Amino acid sequence: MKAIVIEPLARVEGHGGITVELEGDSIAAVRFDVFEGARLLESLVRGKRYDEVAPVLSRICSICSAAHCLTSLKATEKAFEVTVSPQTERLRDLLFLGENIESHALHLFLLALPDYLNAPSAIALAADRPELVQLGLRLKRLGNLIQETIGGRAIHPVNAVPGGFGKAPSTEQLTGLRTALLEGAKGSSAVVDIMASLPETDFCRANTVYAALNSPNQDSYYAGDKVVVFADGERTAVPAADYRTLTNEEPAPHSHAKHSSFRGKPFMVGSLARLTVNMRWLTAKLAIAAERLRLHLPSDSPMDNNKAQALELIGDLERALAVVEQLLDDGIEDERPVPVQPRAGTGTAITEAPRGLLIHSYTYDAEGTLVSADVITPTALNAASMETHFRRLVEQCPERTDGVLAQRLEMLARAYDPCISCSVHLMRKR
Amino acid sequence: MKPILVVGLGNPLMGDDGVGCAVAECLVRDPRLPEWADVIAGGSDLLRYAGLMEGRRLVVVLDAIQDEAAPGTVATLDENAAGLEMRQEHAHHISALQAMRLLSMTIPADFLLLAISIASAGIGTDLSSRVRDRLPAIVEKVLGEIEYLGAGKLQCS
Repeated sequence: MKAIVIEPLARVEGHGGITVELEGDSIAAVRFDVFEGARLLESLVRGKRYDEVAPVLSRICSICSAAHCLTSLKATEKAFEVTVSPQTERLRDLLFLGENIESHALHLFLLALPDYLNAPSAIALAADRPELVQLGLRLKRLGNLIQETIGGRAIHPVNAVPGGFGKAPSTEQLTGLRTALLEGAKGSSAVVDIMASLPETDFCRANTVYAALNSPNQDSYYAGDKVVVFADGERTAVPAADYRTLTNEEPAPHSHAKHSSFRGKPFMVGSLARLTVNMRWLTAKLAIAAERLRLHLPSDSPMDNNKAQALELIGDLERALAVVEQLLDDGIEDERPVPVQPRAGTGTAITEAPRGLLIHSYTYDAEGTLVSADVITPTALNAASMETHFRRLVEQCPERTDGVLAQRLEMLARAYDPCISCSVHLMRKR
Repeated sequence: MKPILVVGLGNPLMGDDGVGCAVAECLVRDPRLPEWADVIAGGSDLLRYAGLMEGRRLVVVLDAIQDEAAPGTVATLDENAAGLEMRQEHAHHISALQAMRLLSMTIPADFLLLAISIASAGIGTDLSSRVRDRLPAIVEKVLGEIEYLGAGKLQCS
């Protein structure tokens, strides 16, 4: 028996990683484990008042803090039947766009690109191709600037509160943001050029089920209460309140994250799923870029998630600019948050975090104290799909040497953009 | 713009992992903090604060380290610190040291890491008693470093 083990996929010692066991030419086992901090953090908010929940849960992840914060607020508002203003919806959408730009720039330029260009790390890539890393850092900063302007600070948005925003951005701030976005949009063509120049990585082909938010506002990451599952050309809608019929979580003996499947099949969430479910909304510019990247939807290659992120990155820059211009045209109102009247009930919110579907479901008592919370992250939803795709990769790999398999498995894991910066991040001295 | 920026890193939901943040929060409230230093309590992604580093002469990063030193020990490390994760040890994460190296490519400031040894990192909003008891001493030590480093930087200008 030969085993290939890739451990350092998790930030928590002893958790996470890929194990492949080979017996001659047969595959004895393929196991994927990911540490799921979010689930354990649910206990920290039980017993908290409704306005204390989002500030705690936004700290689940530094990269996805806006998504956790806004999904938390959306769930709380649903439980109390609060409807926020159109301006709030627009500002929240913009906050999501900023986070997506930041997250995709980080993932594509600092984590995925080194693989394609045979660099062992972002540091090594920076030495050889500084212009690539600098472009990634510039785009990431632009995403941060959006979040800072709308959320009130670089991380864990303080302006976003139940019912709306404690403080709306000023016209001056939005004008500054528009200038920065106009400048940043100049990097869009370079993103396509760079991604189009990379070698193809079609080492895992698989018929894949995709799931993504079906938003009423084109491809909004925030608005919407329905998930669409795309399988073999068929679309099935699942209302947010029925999310358990989508996830069907089952414990997996070897995994800290439960495994999700829809009608018995694992499904993939994230950029590639979003584009697949919402492909009819691709703009002409993005359709041309997709052609240049040789991305054909629906795709049978999970590695195409990197291309999908590149398309979203350039699309989000345009969309963020459009939202800012709309806010400036309409004039920003200094409106107060909608008053919140606590009541006993359950609220479920589903949004699109950078890595895919994010679910927060809360039950409150009549005083507005949180009784129970269920938080399901995209990385947890993807766990079963990742394991299936790792198996396909091994099956399709003609040269099963440790080095080749390990490199491909790591690249595929990275293409899923798993959120392992959740929880601890500390340094270790060995 | 103040010439020195201090960034406390960590996740306050993960016990001692959040010690950098906890120390930053203490510094913000401490009357001994030099007037030429700004302090922010951040999350776990140093790159996110790039915009706040523009125009600074020195960026001091406070972060947790799991090593053999007694909990609460503060060590000064530069971006080339031996024995630490400079290579892409984790498949999908940029460490604070790697982030410092990347940031130094685009921001003309000096970067320094003050690594705070911890006892444990697990789910929970409290620091371990071993680190919590040492918090005043850690803040004292960090303040001393900021005073010394900052004074040097201001003299050089």
